[in-house]
Amino acid sequence: MRRSRMYMSRSFKRARYNPLPFIWKQMNVQFRLRALSIFSLGLLVVQPAVFSAVGYLLARMAGKAVPDLVHVIIGGGIMGLWSSLVFTSFFDISNDRREGILELIVGSPTSLSTVLAIRTLTNVLTGTLSMLLSFLVVLLFFRFSIPLQNIPYIAISLLVLMFGFWCIGLFLAHFRVVTRATGMFINYLELPVAILAAFMFPIEYLPRWIMWLSNSIPIRWGVTGLNSSFQPRIQSGTIWQDWGTSIGISLLYLIVTYFLSRKVRDMIRVSGELSSV
Amino acid sequence: MMKRLSGEIRLYLASAWYSYRALYAWQKFGPYISVKLAFPLAQMLLFLFMGRLAGLKDPLYIVIGNILLLPATNGVAGVSMTISGERDFRTLPYLIASPASRGPLFLGRSLVHIVDGLFSTIGALLLGVLFFHVDLTHSNLTLTALCILLLSVTSCGLGLILGSLSLRTREAWTITSMVSMAFYILSGVNFPVAVLPKFLQAISYSLPLTRGIAAARQALNGADWLSIEPLVTGELLIGLVYIIAGYFLFIWFEKRSLVDGQIETV
Repeated sequence: MRRSRMYMSRSFKRARYNPLPFIWKQMNVQFRLRALSIFSLGLLVVQPAVFSAVGYLLARMAGKAVPDLVHVIIGGGIMGLWSSLVFTSFFDISNDRREGILELIVGSPTSLSTVLAIRTLTNVLTGTLSMLLSFLVVLLFFRFSIPLQNIPYIAISLLVLMFGFWCIGLFLAHFRVVTRATGMFINYLELPVAILAAFMFPIEYLPRWIMWLSNSIPIRWGVTGLNSSFQPRIQSGTIWQDWGTSIGISLLYLIVTYFLSRKVRDMIRVSGELSSV
Repeated sequence: MMKRLSGEIRLYLASAWYSYRALYAWQKFGPYISVKLAFPLAQMLLFLFMGRLAGLKDPLYIVIGNILLLPATNGVAGVSMTISGERDFRTLPYLIASPASRGPLFLGRSLVHIVDGLFSTIGALLLGVLFFHVDLTHSNLTLTALCILLLSVTSCGLGLILGSLSLRTREAWTITSMVSMAFYILSGVNFPVAVLPKFLQAISYSLPLTRGIAAARQALNGADWLSIEPLVTGELLIGLVYIIAGYFLFIWFEKRSLVDGQIETV
């Protein structure tokens, strides 16, 4: 009697949940998948290099020795990050489904949304490789000098931008789960968002009538903030406004994603539509 | 001989029909058209804005170049995707095991992509006229159409080469995407080939698109047959070389895969 009570008290003593091993394992698998994939290499290295090369050669054709480095080279890096995110986060679920591991993920005690959140974060972190390469190109090949006082601004801008990418990536990952029909248009989402967020040219080039759509994308504000942080004279009021707007819109995307995740949960557990995922 | 030829034609058309039913027949008109127009428009706009940032005075060069690239990318990607798609859907071993001739079987499947590419080009040209004021009043439209058709066909050879890689690697589609991306630099779409460094110019002129795009560009500006004939002939010859090379590469890879038992090896 005494012994069984002792067992009971032990069994009721719950271990405190530590999410770190789960996060680490998810990130580890995701990093390995990306590192071993030629597809990732193409998205992270080849594609940004091609777009930056086009910008560079266009500048040469126009008679300029050096292009607008921030837009052409660093913009190319942002483009790489975006392309990698849009294709990886969006198609992760499809790949799970094809490989037959979606059922295992859904059956595990961790929610699908948590898994997607960690994966998207890893995809964003992997995508930063593209940006790092673009920074290296700008600094080493073109001898671009960044004033020391700009570095904190650049660092914060990068964090804001990555948060925006994470939110939009998470939204896209859930969107894919809600309706499989999105698979057709996602291939064509890459360039329009790159234009609307003005990765590779100043935002002022966009016509006014489309600005409402551009303004609703958090990374557009993040990119503007990053571009401003490279300027020799930083207007701190404007840059704070860009960061604030980017974070605000990103949070809105997170709220929408939360409702999408509830819909996904219902689809899987209430109406039993796992196969539609 | 005639019986064999008619059999090959029947196989070619049957293959095209299956491909159409698998990839296009189920699509709805609205989404199909919007997707077809969205991509070329986005591509044109991106490079146009980049050109403006660089300080280019003639944005139409970029617009027209990107329109003319469409049939070529459809040809390359279409044929390559046809073969790698068979691998993805696990039907490649059945096709390899069948006695059907490889040429009509796979090139037939690419026919719909060629036709699709032609539709994309017409749509993009309309967009060019509407949004970017491309002037077609002085264009030699018959020659332009011929050049576009030629581009669609000659680019299939490169697609066949890249698609053949599907027999030996899972990443054939990725490689095709990367090569297609290189066209933005190498094929004279966004800037003349002369802007490129010498070694890239040599690569550019060894591709089956560069001359065809240049010829189509001249035809759009109103050039007659005599002035574009060398370019067209060059495009045709180089396209044929790629098609023949692609065919033999496929046969070689197939034989190698059967010998070492490594179809879909990776």
